[in-house]
Parts: sequence; C-alpha cells; structure tokens
Amino acid sequence: MDTFLIHLLNSLLYASVLFLIAGGLSLIYGVMRIINLAHGNIYAVGAYATAWAVGRLLGGAPVVLLYAILPVGALAAAALGAVLEPTLLRPLYKRAEEYQLLITFGLLLILEDLIRVVWGPYPLSASSLFEAPGSLTIGETIYPTYNLVVIVVGGLAAAALWAFVYKTKFGVILRATSQNMRMASALGVNVNRVYVQAFTLGCFMAGLGGAIIVPQQGAVLGMGPDALILAFVVVVVGGLGSLEGALLGALMVGVVREVGISLFPEIELAVLYLMAAIVLLIRPAGLFGRA
Amino acid sequence: MGEVSRRDFLNSLGVTVGAAVAASAGSVLSPAKAEAQVRGTIPDKPYKIGHMTFFTGAAAVLGEPSYKGHILAAEEINAQGGLLGKRKIETFKADEAAGTDANVKEMRRMKLSEGIDLFTGVISSGNTPALGPVAEELKLLTIFVDGCTDFLFDKAVPNPHYIFRITNMQSADGVTAAVATAMTWPQVRKIAHIHPDYSYGRNAFDHFKISLDKLVPGTKVVYEGWPKLGTTDFTSHITNAIGAKPDLLVSSVWGGDYIAMYKQGLRYDLFKKMKFTSMIAFGVAPHAIGKDHPEGVIGGIHSNYYWNYPPAGKWPLNDIFVKKYYDRWKEYPNFQSEGAYTTLMLLKQSIEKANKLAGGWPDDEAIIAMLEGASISGPAGYLHIRPDIHQGYKDAVTGFSKNDPNYPFQILDPSRMVTIPIRNITAPPGWPKGEPTSTYTWIEKTWPKVTKA
Repeated sequence: MDTFLIHLLNSLLYASVLFLIAGGLSLIYGVMRIINLAHGNIYAVGAYATAWAVGRLLGGAPVVLLYAILPVGALAAAALGAVLEPTLLRPLYKRAEEYQLLITFGLLLILEDLIRVVWGPYPLSASSLFEAPGSLTIGETIYPTYNLVVIVVGGLAAAALWAFVYKTKFGVILRATSQNMRMASALGVNVNRVYVQAFTLGCFMAGLGGAIIVPQQGAVLGMGPDALILAFVVVVVGGLGSLEGALLGALMVGVVREVGISLFPEIELAVLYLMAAIVLLIRPAGLFGRA
Repeated sequence: MGEVSRRDFLNSLGVTVGAAVAASAGSVLSPAKAEAQVRGTIPDKPYKIGHMTFFTGAAAVLGEPSYKGHILAAEEINAQGGLLGKRKIETFKADEAAGTDANVKEMRRMKLSEGIDLFTGVISSGNTPALGPVAEELKLLTIFVDGCTDFLFDKAVPNPHYIFRITNMQSADGVTAAVATAMTWPQVRKIAHIHPDYSYGRNAFDHFKISLDKLVPGTKVVYEGWPKLGTTDFTSHITNAIGAKPDLLVSSVWGGDYIAMYKQGLRYDLFKKMKFTSMIAFGVAPHAIGKDHPEGVIGGIHSNYYWNYPPAGKWPLNDIFVKKYYDRWKEYPNFQSEGAYTTLMLLKQSIEKANKLAGGWPDDEAIIAMLEGASISGPAGYLHIRPDIHQGYKDAVTGFSKNDPNYPFQILDPSRMVTIPIRNITAPPGWPKGEPTSTYTWIEKTWPKVTKA
C-alpha cells in the first residue's frame, strides 16, 4: 500500500509539471493554431530565472523570502511571451504554417544559446527550497515534502485554468476566437489582443512549470528540448489544442512512465512512445482531439 | 589453481590507496627542460587546430572545461613564440552538440576549407567511432581528448594511423569502480544499478558486473534503472532502487543529471540506506558538487584525474597546472581540462623531438612516429601512448568524497585515492578483439574468481 502510494505520488509529480508545459503548448495551439517549438526553452527560461534568483541573487536569504520569489520564473517567461508574439509571430500569421514552424524552431535554438550566454554552461540549482521542508514519512520510507508542493501547484493551476477558460468573460472570448477567429473579429473581438494574451498565458504556464520543478531538479542546458518532446507526447495523446486532453495526457504519461521504470526498466525510453503509438492507432486525432 | 583470496588478488593488481604526502616543497620549480635549440628554418604561419566539444546541451559541463584546458595550453605555447618558437596555435572551435552527422561534416569542412593541421577535442563515445574513420580517410592528424569507447580501437579503427586518444579507455571506469568497491565494501551482495541509457552506461554496467563477479562472488543485481541521458527527474528510479533493498547502488549518471540525482537521493535518505559507487560523479567541473553531497562514497572521475591528486607538493606538474588553470579561469580543472591540456603538451613534445632528429618543420608522418609509443609526464602522472592502437594509458584512479573547510565545494579525499596500474585492468597488446569489448573477454578469461577474503 505504501509502495503504491509512493508510485502514485511519483506519477502525479511528473504529470503536474508536464501538464503545465503541455497545457501551455496546447492553449497556444488551440487559440492561435501555432505549434510553438520554442515552448521547451520558454520552460527552461522559467527554470533558469528562478534558479538564478533563488540560488545566486538572493542565495542565503530567509527561506520564506525565497519561496516568495519562486514565481519569478513564470513572470519572466510570461514577459518573454508578451514580447515575442507581437514582434516575431504576428508578421507571419498570413503566411503558410511552415514559416511559423521555422521561426519557432529558430527561436528554440536562439534561446538555448542565450541561456548559455546569460547563465553559463554549468547547472544552476535552487535546492535550498527543496531541502527546507524536509521529508515526510510514508509507511517505512520517507518522501520529500517539496514534491507534494509541486503536485498541489500543478493541481491548482489546472483548476485555475479551467475556471479561467470556462467561467470568465475572457475565457468566452478566448474560446470564441479559438472556434472561429474571423467571426470573433467581426463581432468586435480585438484578435490581436487575444492572441498576445493567450500566448503570454501559455508561456506563463511553461515558466511556472520550470519555476516549481527547478528546486527539485536544477536547471541544465538541454532541458528545454527534452521537455518539448515529452510535451508533444502529451498533446499528441490528449489531442492538440485541448486542455482536458493535456491534463489526461500528462496523467497517462506520468503513470505509464512510473510503471515502465518499475516493471520494464530496460525499455524505459520506448514505453512512452509505444503508448503514444497505440493511442494514435485507435484515435488518430488524440483522445480529445477534433479530427 | 586452488584457493584465491581477494587480498592476494588485489595485491597482484597493484592497487594502492592514498600516498604519503611529501612535506611542502617550498617554491615549485617548473620541471621543463631548458629550451632546446630549434634546428633548421621554421615557417611562421599559424598552426591551425580544430577543437570540437560540447558548448551547448547537458554535456557542456564537460565541454567547457575541455575547451578551457586546451586554451590554457595554447596560450602557454604561444607565449613562448608558438610551436618550435615560431608557429602560433590558432584554434577553431566547433559545437559537438550539432549531432554525429553534422560533426563529421564539420570535421571535413575544417580540414578542407580552414586547412586545419590537427583535430582534437570530442567528448561523446557516440562521435569518435564516426569521426575516427573519416580522419583516417582525410589523412588528418587527430588526437581525441575523450570519446573513450573501447569500440573505437576494438572495431571502428582497429589499425589507426592518423588518430590518437588521450583519456583512459571506457572499460576502465567499470573495472576501477568494481575494484574500489571490492576493497572497501566486500560484504555487499545485493546490487542496484542506475545508468544512462546509451553506450557509456551500458559499458559501465557490463565491466562493473564482470569485475565484481570475479572479486566478490555471490552478488546479484536486484534493480536496474536506465534513465535517458539528460533526465533530471530520478524520483522513480530512486524509489524503485530503495524498494529493492540493495546493499550497494552503482551509477554512471553524470553532469547535471548526477547533480539532480544526488540532491533528490538525499531527500529519500538514499545514501543512508545503502553504499554508493559512482564511475564519474566527480568528473564534472569540481565546484558543481555541493557540500551537501554524501561523504565517504566512491565518487568516480572517469578513472582519469582529480585536481588535488597527485597531492600538493608531491608532483610539481600538477601543482603548476592547477595554479595556472585557477589563475586563468577562476575555477579548478576536471579530467577533461587535464586531457585537453596534456594533448597539446604531447603534440609540442612530439614536434620538438621530430625537429631535433630531422630539422625544419616535421611533416605529419614524423609527428606520428614520435606520438606512437610516446611517454609524457602530465599533471595526472605519466601518460603512455600505445603504439599499436594509439590509445593513451595512465594509471586509473578513483576516490572517496569528503568535505574540506578550505573549499566551498566537496572534494575527493587526497589521502584515500585508489590507484590501479592501468596495464592490470585493460586487455594487453595482442589480445584478440572481443565482445562486448576486448577488456571484457580478457577479464572474463584471465581473472581468477576469488574464493575467500
């Protein structure tokens, strides 16, 4: 039972961060029909910004203060998004999709280099936040308390996003724009503004994912592209553009990876892709996709 | 063959622990000989070197120190006027993270467009077997710093002419870790493994296992985890390893991945529940290992070099190197820094010897003749280049982690370093090529199984 609980928590931990990344990716695609390949490194910017603020800038400050500045990574990522959409993406909306893929992929590479130039080649760590809350005892083994914080933040983010999209006026406009951009525009919606807001929100989520996980994992070069690939597995399984799909996809990836590592460690890498392949064979548009 | 005791067999391997630290040597004198007279006329055009290493991605934690070691040596040589006092070294750098195919193209481009005289660097074992044959085809003098897979000289280029390699062969990592484990914790029986899922991790696992099977009979593997290279979430691997209740965890996870793994392990009391042996934990830039790292574990250094060993005052070349490196980069060197630095010093020595014999600027054939069988004293100790397979050999080392109030990061304890003569843990010249490596079959066939302590 204890073992089961720990495996469950491990799955939820993985799923929480993945949901934040993949949810942002899916939101941006849902509203803007852009596959944002730079998303992985926007997540990395979130992780690096928090690690830098917590580990370097204010290293040694009281832990309470450090927790208070944890979201700085999410804000940095959101600010980056708010700048990138109007300057780099907006001029390309009238062109074919290939151009958007090219520019977001180029952006992924440029961000990778910028991260290295700004923060250097060695890993950054914010582990004081991971250590401060200690560990809890579950049965005869112990479990890091901070992991629960990540799971709770992931859960709250999912709930807040749901409320935002389905219970607010902005959410209505967002969904309307997502369903029919021209009609929304004809009805007086300022599409440019909705786009920049959606893009910023998507980047905020990725940045939040980076910010809350960095105390546990540290920030390393190359973390962005890795996360991007996993986020694609999630959205492909869940259906591109669907938040419910991203949530379900993240949970499935979290559970399948955990089961894979426990039962089939030799083929850990293959297990996730096998799952994605099976889902795609049965439902080519993903579980919640609109074919 | 009768009873074989572990103690006798380890003695026969020539394993030593620590070393008496000499009294402080006072001022350190450079052991370099007085400048030899250069014979003949030397052109003053630059000597172009391509250095390929990881500048981006997770492996940049090894690539950056490699490049810094190379630049330090190049600056030192250039300050003396260049090679043979005339030819200044000009370095072209390339990012190994571009991928194997792109790296091969870049090597061709460097040779054909830039006209490089020497190619060096390379970290990944996935790249040397692809680059090696191309260097031979291009007739491009190449000294790989790392990319240490046994496969390169076992299979990819079994009879090298233009390519050489400096750091110890990969199999030495698994064997060294097993020898240190058998000496330190011969009571371990249940073993868990966590290795990155690519050639290095598989090689470390195979060679640790075959060696430990010989040295500590009756062990069994109770868990194997194979995370993807670049993974920073080890939550599941750690829980599964703990769940298997092993006596020992063995890991070849490295770089930023390892930093994440040990920090997560601490929160699960991982290191209190079992012994821990690593092949390469302390291989990263030294300051990346925090003071919170568990003490007294075997913290491998790719069986090559740690900056405080040979200890201060005992081997002047190391004292000088560490000081120069620190003054230049404000950090301590790792094994890649030492490898890249020694590479250029070996080149310099070979060019000078060839000049002494024939005069003028030596052609590549003359430099190769000097490199084959060369011996050089480097910061880590004596390095020998085997003439048949062009592989660099130096005694394998590993050590135990320890906090020292003089350093803001955790170090390896210089008084407990384990040193193994390299000839006793690698397949000798003439041994038939084997699967998965020649060293593996050599250990399998020639090491006795110990039967008592």
